[in-house]
Amino acid sequence: MSETALMGESRQKLLLDLVGVRKTFDGFNAVERIDLSVMEGEFFTIVGPSGSGKTTLLRMLAGMDQPSDGAIYLRGESLNDMPANKRPTCLVFQSLALFPHMTVGQNIEFALKMRKIAPAARKARALELMRVVRLPETYYSKNVMKCSGGEKQRVALARAFAYDPEILLFDEPLSALDYKLRKTLEKELKDLHRETGKTFIYITHSLEEAMVMSDRIGVMRDGRLVQVGTPEEIYTKPSDKFVSEFMGEVNIVQVRPDGAGRYRSEDLAGSFTVNAPPSTDGYVVIRPEFLRFLASPSDADNHLTGRVHNEYSLGSRVQYQVRVGERMFLVEQPRRQSFGGGDVTIGWDAADAIFVAE
Amino acid sequence: MKIHALQIQDAAISGTAKKSRGPFLTPGARCALPVIVLLLLGFAAPLTAVIAYSFAEPHSFNVFSSFTFANYAEIFNTENTVWMSFLWSLSLAAVTVLILSVIAYPIAYGMVYVFGRWSGLVSILFVFPLFISENVRLYGWVLFFIKNGVFDGTLNLLGGSDAPEVLYSPGIILFGMIYTYLPYMLFPLVLGLSLLPRDVVDAAKDLGASRYQVWREIELPLAMPGFMIGLLLTFVLAVGAIAESKVLGGQSVIVLTHDIEVSFTYAQNWPLGSALAVLITLITGGLTLFMLFKLDLDRVLGRK
Amino acid sequence: MVEFSRRTVLQMLGAGGAMAAASTGFARNAFAAGRDKEMNILCWEGYNSAQVLDPFRTEFGATVKAESLTNDPTMVNRLRAGETKVWDLINLNNPWARKLMWPEKLIKPLDQEVFQPYFAKMLPEFKAPFHWAMSDDGKDLLGMAQRFGPYSFVVNTDKVSRKMAEDEGWDLFNDKAIVGRYGVQESDDWNVFDMFLVAGIDPFKVHSEAEMATFLATAKRIYKGAKLIGDMASLNQALISGEIDLYLTGGTYSVSPARADGYPNLRGITPLRGPMNGKGGVMWIEVTSTVNNPNLSPLAPKFLQYVQRPEVAHTVAFAEGTFNPVSQMGNPECFKLFTKDELEAIQWDSLSEEMARSVAYDIVPDYEKALDLLNAAKRERG
Repeated sequence: MSETALMGESRQKLLLDLVGVRKTFDGFNAVERIDLSVMEGEFFTIVGPSGSGKTTLLRMLAGMDQPSDGAIYLRGESLNDMPANKRPTCLVFQSLALFPHMTVGQNIEFALKMRKIAPAARKARALELMRVVRLPETYYSKNVMKCSGGEKQRVALARAFAYDPEILLFDEPLSALDYKLRKTLEKELKDLHRETGKTFIYITHSLEEAMVMSDRIGVMRDGRLVQVGTPEEIYTKPSDKFVSEFMGEVNIVQVRPDGAGRYRSEDLAGSFTVNAPPSTDGYVVIRPEFLRFLASPSDADNHLTGRVHNEYSLGSRVQYQVRVGERMFLVEQPRRQSFGGGDVTIGWDAADAIFVAE
Repeated sequence: MKIHALQIQDAAISGTAKKSRGPFLTPGARCALPVIVLLLLGFAAPLTAVIAYSFAEPHSFNVFSSFTFANYAEIFNTENTVWMSFLWSLSLAAVTVLILSVIAYPIAYGMVYVFGRWSGLVSILFVFPLFISENVRLYGWVLFFIKNGVFDGTLNLLGGSDAPEVLYSPGIILFGMIYTYLPYMLFPLVLGLSLLPRDVVDAAKDLGASRYQVWREIELPLAMPGFMIGLLLTFVLAVGAIAESKVLGGQSVIVLTHDIEVSFTYAQNWPLGSALAVLITLITGGLTLFMLFKLDLDRVLGRK
Repeated sequence: MVEFSRRTVLQMLGAGGAMAAASTGFARNAFAAGRDKEMNILCWEGYNSAQVLDPFRTEFGATVKAESLTNDPTMVNRLRAGETKVWDLINLNNPWARKLMWPEKLIKPLDQEVFQPYFAKMLPEFKAPFHWAMSDDGKDLLGMAQRFGPYSFVVNTDKVSRKMAEDEGWDLFNDKAIVGRYGVQESDDWNVFDMFLVAGIDPFKVHSEAEMATFLATAKRIYKGAKLIGDMASLNQALISGEIDLYLTGGTYSVSPARADGYPNLRGITPLRGPMNGKGGVMWIEVTSTVNNPNLSPLAPKFLQYVQRPEVAHTVAFAEGTFNPVSQMGNPECFKLFTKDELEAIQWDSLSEEMARSVAYDIVPDYEKALDLLNAAKRERG
């Protein structure tokens, strides 16, 4: 694991340590033997498709589910036998789980009330937190169910902060919001993380969301953590085809060594130069922005010939679909180019492609 | 939709009436009409008859043709001891409801959260007796508790001691009422609890609430609508209970429904029986409305 | 969605209650025309049984509806409240036809040429003109007699001997030793008679203030000391199990099912003597009359003839519910249908002497006042 890389700032200390954590439901392994360390003050995101076990993992961290096997340590002390209401963790639910019979203020103050803090102090803290999450003070006695989606989100956040947890856990809290609001809240969350200095553990199925906010990302698949690293590491060095596909739109070519130092594909003509360990089957992953149109085939290490099938504007860039035989490749260019409708040559350099073993 | 309905309305009345009038029945009202008619016939009509009878001359059938307060005066006559029956009926019902809520809550909680796949079986066990007539079930209990009955005989076999005498007492009436009305408290409560989002309970625990605090602050307020329905339903039913007192209790106490029955039968005094029925309806109805206002459903559900 | 379901549950519960209220009070319609194939009977249990009605339905191709109730005043009230339009036959205890329904024009007289001859074949007590079947002036025949029986109290003879019970009579209930050892049947009209009788007062007359006071004191004492008040099934069960040793208001009608079930030790008792001109027992005789229905079914008199047949009379005597002697037992054709066990169940051995020691059910002139006192006394149990 590449912990040294991200521990550039050496003041970071180990906060949470998962050792061989496993969870079985009725013989089905929802989470299989996870080992993971999370640093103090880190924004750690677990990303994976639905059913990959990320929510189960989060619920175990929150104390709502118990691991079938393994242990969770907080600063070296086992959390296994500590119930949810005693743990220094607080979960922001996907459903938000606001208390529908309470006002905004009562929701935020809930944790303080449970600690029997005096009403005046509670209110002062609630108003302070409302400022932090950018909720108007007038909302204090508003019924929480009358708030908009974004406002509810902020109430849920403030309510979690009021508990003053060491670790805030987020279970896809933004997934129900529209794109624009989600973008705004992603940034706000990131800001809040920096302002409060708390440790955030965040779950999402959107890698894009993970990229924007996280210090580190863990990719989950079928109950396993397949890769853990910084957004950049995940982006540039996906550990396998699954991770690389999960990163977004990429071109993937399955290749085999041809015995002469080059690689060939089953469904594409020609052989390619690939930076890979010798004699290993695998996939070449080429990001659309690393594919380019070539004036002559010798302008890049590898080339393919096809026809432009379609083009899309992505705002700042233009994406082309290029048909090569039966396959479709994505090419992204900063500017629009025009093609006559005849054959085009596309290509990439070996250094720009990523090789992942089978 | 609305416009379409109005056009039909217009077409219907065009032959007879002036064209330019407002809709006298919205589509909703017209859809509700059959139910309203049914309620009027099935509910309002008998109730009106009972109220009218309560103002008729005592011991007569001069309903609608005589008007007197004599029946009410008779009930409030200081020498009349019928207040004892009111007291017994209301207090038995109150205690029944109180005990039922204590018993039914854990069962409902178990059915929603704990029993898992067994909760179906448990609810069938609670529903099944409802298919058997209440009287038959109560006679069954008599055979269980009676001298030399199942209970007594079993104790004799096991330890040689006689079973305590429980039949024909107010205590056994209470037992019978709790037994009979348990499902009517249980199922509204189950409904109330099952509508309670699991996440909300988890969130409360996560925010540091103890089991008791979760119950007080979250479960109870959110299950309150179901709880209220159960409370009111069982209270109203229990106030009207008679079989428990007759079959199990050997009429060791006289409940109001017995007085009403006697008025309508042996006493041939329908007006007095009606006046008693009107009074108990007013008491339970008033209590119901009071509780419903006090615990506004919308407020409980947080929609206001 | 949540709002919808919670609210509708509440509303449905309300509507359900209303529906239940509606269904219990459903109206019965009698059609004005074409009633020669239908007939409605308001009766004590027995006449409404399939054993009695089904052969009649088959023979006459008739639609017969019967409703059974277990007290006279309610049935009389139904006619008074306007149900004369509904019913064709009414089956009640002896005094009501002659003293109440005939003067109030609730019933119609029978054709004497057809029906008087039947009385000749009945037991000697019913020979024409039978008092309770006739109008006061003796001119009209108001109904037919069939089931009857003595009805005073019932004892478990293993605990209280028949001899002692008959000898002590109602005084048995004045004995402090039986407190908590007896039950009271919930038939309040009969209980009014019995509280008077226990107090040593003739029930069937106008009572003085002092007599009423004694009545109230007696009723309070009897109710207070009773182990239970219940229906006859509960009381028989309590007798059999040993919860109680005796109960008042009871006789052949109430105890015969238990006797037939193999408990001949339970027995209806008629006191040897008492305050009613020396007699101590009360008995009942059912009189079935044709209702003063503006559109009376022609089947009504046919049914009254039908039940006179020996085999039908026997069926009536042993219809489901309770077993009772019938006046038609005076006809040997009918009597021979009764088995030894059946005669044992209805206490045939002592029937005529018990009848001789009893006066017939009658109307208590100050019944309303007495009943109020009785119910006040009952309330002081709890």
